Amino acid sequence: MKKESFFDKAGTRSVLASLVAILVGMLAGSVIILIVGLTNSSLGIKGAWEGIRLVVAGLFATGRDAAGGLTFGFNSASFGNMLFRAVPLIMTGLSVALGNKAGLFNIGAPGQYLAGTAASLFVSLSVPTSVVPAWLVWLMALLAGMMAGACWGAIPGLLKAYLNINEVLACIMTNWIAANAVTWVFDVSNLKNVLEGTKSGYIYKTSTVLNDVVIDGVRSTVGANIPEGAQVVATRGGVATAKMGLDSIFSGSQVNGGILVAILIAIVIYIILSRTTLGYQLKACGANRYAARYAGIQDKRNIVLTMALAGALAAAGGALYYLSGNTEFFWNTYQSLPAEGFNGIPVALLAINNPLGVVFSAVFMSMLQICGQKLTELTAYNEYITNVIIAVIVYLSAFMLVIKMWIGKLRKGKAVDK
Amino acid sequence: MVHQHFKLIEVFTVLDNIILGAEDTKLGFVQRKAARKKVEELSKRYGLNVDLDAKVENITVGMQQRVEILKMLYRDNEILIFDEPTAVLTPQEIVELMQIMKGLAKEGKSILFISHKLNEIMEVSDRVSVLRKGKYIGTVNTQDTTAAELSRMMVGHDVQLVVDKAPAQPGETVLKVTDLHVASRLYKHDAVKGVSFEVRKGEIVCIAGIDGNGQSELVFGLSGLEKCSGGKIEINGVDITHAPIRKRSEAGISHIPEDRHKHGLVLDFTLEQNFVLQTFEQPRFQHMGFIKFGDIRKYSERLIEEYDVRSGQGSITMARSMSGGNQQKAIIAREIDRDLPLLLAVQPTRGLDVGAIENIHRQIVAQRDEGKAVLLVSLELDEVMNLSDRILVMYEGEIVGELDPKQTTVEELGLYMAGAKRQDRKKEASA
Amino acid sequence: MPFLIRQTLVYAVPLMLVALAGVFAERSGIINLALEGIMIFGAFMGVLFVRTVQEWGWFQPAYDAGNILGLQGFCFLAMLFAAAMGALFSLLLAFAAINLKADQTIGGTALNLLAPAVVLFFIRIIANQNTLNMYKGDAASWFMLKKSMFGYGRKEEMNFLGSTFVDKVYVATYICILVFIVMSIILYKTRFGMRLRSCGENPQASASLGINVVKMRYAGTVISGALAGMGGFVYVLTTANCSANGDVAGFGFLALAVMIFGNWKPLNICLAALLFGLFKCVAASYSTLDINGDGVYLLKNLNINTNIYRMLPYVITLIVLAFTSKSSRAPKAEGIPYDPGKR
Repeated sequence: MKKESFFDKAGTRSVLASLVAILVGMLAGSVIILIVGLTNSSLGIKGAWEGIRLVVAGLFATGRDAAGGLTFGFNSASFGNMLFRAVPLIMTGLSVALGNKAGLFNIGAPGQYLAGTAASLFVSLSVPTSVVPAWLVWLMALLAGMMAGACWGAIPGLLKAYLNINEVLACIMTNWIAANAVTWVFDVSNLKNVLEGTKSGYIYKTSTVLNDVVIDGVRSTVGANIPEGAQVVATRGGVATAKMGLDSIFSGSQVNGGILVAILIAIVIYIILSRTTLGYQLKACGANRYAARYAGIQDKRNIVLTMALAGALAAAGGALYYLSGNTEFFWNTYQSLPAEGFNGIPVALLAINNPLGVVFSAVFMSMLQICGQKLTELTAYNEYITNVIIAVIVYLSAFMLVIKMWIGKLRKGKAVDK
Repeated sequence: MVHQHFKLIEVFTVLDNIILGAEDTKLGFVQRKAARKKVEELSKRYGLNVDLDAKVENITVGMQQRVEILKMLYRDNEILIFDEPTAVLTPQEIVELMQIMKGLAKEGKSILFISHKLNEIMEVSDRVSVLRKGKYIGTVNTQDTTAAELSRMMVGHDVQLVVDKAPAQPGETVLKVTDLHVASRLYKHDAVKGVSFEVRKGEIVCIAGIDGNGQSELVFGLSGLEKCSGGKIEINGVDITHAPIRKRSEAGISHIPEDRHKHGLVLDFTLEQNFVLQTFEQPRFQHMGFIKFGDIRKYSERLIEEYDVRSGQGSITMARSMSGGNQQKAIIAREIDRDLPLLLAVQPTRGLDVGAIENIHRQIVAQRDEGKAVLLVSLELDEVMNLSDRILVMYEGEIVGELDPKQTTVEELGLYMAGAKRQDRKKEASA
Repeated sequence: MPFLIRQTLVYAVPLMLVALAGVFAERSGIINLALEGIMIFGAFMGVLFVRTVQEWGWFQPAYDAGNILGLQGFCFLAMLFAAAMGALFSLLLAFAAINLKADQTIGGTALNLLAPAVVLFFIRIIANQNTLNMYKGDAASWFMLKKSMFGYGRKEEMNFLGSTFVDKVYVATYICILVFIVMSIILYKTRFGMRLRSCGENPQASASLGINVVKMRYAGTVISGALAGMGGFVYVLTTANCSANGDVAGFGFLALAVMIFGNWKPLNICLAALLFGLFKCVAASYSTLDINGDGVYLLKNLNINTNIYRMLPYVITLIVLAFTSKSSRAPKAEGIPYDPGKR
């Protein structure tokens, strides 16, 4: 159970395999960019070269100079946003990684993420901050989100444990049910943004201050500016994750303390998995469900528990993302599932399901997204190329074992043990 | 070639299995009618009765073997290879197979029969070639040799097949099973139908029977892997019929499982992690839910030393990378060291070499002599006859006979196993 | 009533075709979780084909002359192209799963991520928006059968059969049914089908009988890709006005559920698909659904939130799975990489 030199070697090989996957993914993206550039007269080889440079180093892009050439340098906004966007990826990545460790492929993270988003938005925008302090509302919202995600994740867990329904299929169905259910509850809620005309289809930011007022006996909701003669009944909203000074380090970005919370949770999950009897049980169930059952471990209970925990983690991702107070939730979402949920899969696979590795792979994925954004901003290409790169990485992680063996052969010049 | 493990597609019909890979087609469509005619002719000519429309999963093992033979005949093969074909058959089915093989030889086919069972070799073969550890030892005419000579050639020295053990000294009852029913996982009926027996301190009771007569389900019922649909199980007077697996283990059952890869070990765990599979929640291995890695390492090192479990890297060896014999040793070490009153050993020597088998047999006898109750489930007749103090024969989910190994013969055992003979145990019990 | 049957078929037919695609892969021993991705890819390729050929103007004369046969031929070509591209795309899964013994679930997921990414990337470059439409006209005017083609006037109604199965119907739907029947027969009655099925149950046994398991599994996966690709195109042709947007709304996964519900058997799948098609149809058009033709919109009058209807197919799928999973029986060797050394 303790790490020895042998494991270190295996560990290095795993990291190398992940790096190979990343490299091949980037290469595939570059090749597509090149082909598109060469066949498209408006882009040409020059456009393609710009595209490739942005895919690799978009994080450092600062714009274009007077001559129209790309400029690079430290971009504090990009860095900060990378960290900000890594938060939901860390959480969904942890969710998928935990499932994988316990032998369950949690493709239900998008649905759990939505459940967490919805519950946390409801709590943060409904509990009057005039009565409960904002920080407490924030905490309540996060916990409510995690609870909702845990319940949502437990459904496929229960179906798997007691009715032996393939968890992948059950998760996919619960994803779509969640997408519809979330649309439905917000559709009938009073949280739709009606104060700002340009924001139709969105829910209020959690940082928005809402005042429930009574004017001439008629109850209504207004923003921070209270019209004359109105009597304030309650104040809601104004909830946002603390910045913890990060905004001054990465000026111009949306970063906040959420990233620290996410890293903390990753450490906790790491300790649970590697140091506790609970982690031991979950891993035993994952590695051999039959042997675990033979040994008296309650495999069914563990399946449900794993899925509930995974659900809570994914949900925390949604909660932390929207509780930042500077992102708005598009509620009419029944036709699409949040990409952050699915991207938990590549994050976990790239990290080889190691909770601490998840932090790094999530930051990497988030960097790719920034690159994609710069690509859209600065060239005729679009951000979907980063999704192509991510998909290629997932494809490669499906046969990570083979890649690891190749590396082993390269390093030792002979075959390694299975 | 007839493989030791049949190469059949369970959900296909017998006919489809026979013609698969050698189908006659017209425009790509399988010509089943013509094939059926040919197979029917073949089965008549060689006396191989099969139901062509039955699905393979629903027919008996003996019939499955006939399907394998028909597969070869359908392809008009001249040389037929039988690889350990009798391992799964009843003594009566074996006799039948021997006759079929002789008939085939008479019809002009050449037969290569691979076996380690001397009496079968003596009965059916014309010539014998002996291989030992991958080396060719020699060829003799069966008429000119004896079983003893063959066994010397096979093993290299005279072997003593009998296990040394003193007569049993049974004490009080440890395990008491009353009218136990266990449902079948595959079919709708019960796999174990009203089984009652006792196992006492200091004796080895063996459940004998042909594979698939409810032994596995009986074990699952006892160990808690499968729910009992009726009856009662008691350990030292405590009713554990509906107790969860962990409780049963605590009440006193240690269990060497039939399938060491499926149930016995977590192959992707290290040896030491496997050693604490049942006990990791005991206070000696954890504190407030945190694992005591140091104590587990010490424990593991002791087991490795005491039970001579050999592996590449000691405690941190992946179970997957260990040899089958050492994997089994590890399981036995874990189960015996838990020092519980009942040892449930299911085919503990399956797939192991002679040396490992001897070692395991010794350990089981030692457990008995220490006053443990041992319930052994085995398909190997030699093991049943040599190791047990009492034999219970299971046939179609019922115990059809209780035999004393000293007073019975393999032939008689075979008759019970095949369902040709049975004692009325219920009457005896009430009388 | 004719509307209900017609619309149910529109949803049910691609569903059963794609479910059959799943059957071919799984019966050969490969879990094809990528059905969704392959559908997306096939849909995009089919639409791109239609768009490009229209741009070249090859079938413009046929369109101007109202030549039904010519236009249906065009549509058929697009279906074939989508199938071919789906097959090509599925090779990625086959290679990973068969040659590299990869985890098939992850491999399939990768394809499900890859398809929308690639498709959207190119759609944005080609069309400068997130949807790829036909170059000219719409699906209905090019490929749909209409009563006017059979000499019926605007006010005339066809008889029940006509208005159910001819008017406002795509021939592509019937071609899919035909393909479904032919492929089902191939699976059960031919040497190829029999060998393919054996590889999903006991590949070691198949190999011992001289069957090339690798080839059979490739065949199963590629056929699966072709059927899913075709299904994807027909889906967007009949429900999305022949436009691709990198999404088929979980239809590929629904097809997997239908496959399991149908116990990996074509006839059962057919019935399951009809059931799901009905629910999909109700969800999509409950507000204008006049079931018994008395001018009363029963479902709309129930005043239930739209989202509940939209949720229904997925909820039903879960419930159905809950009831059938105990008795369902997957091919024994599915998902397990073929290892010739194992016995």
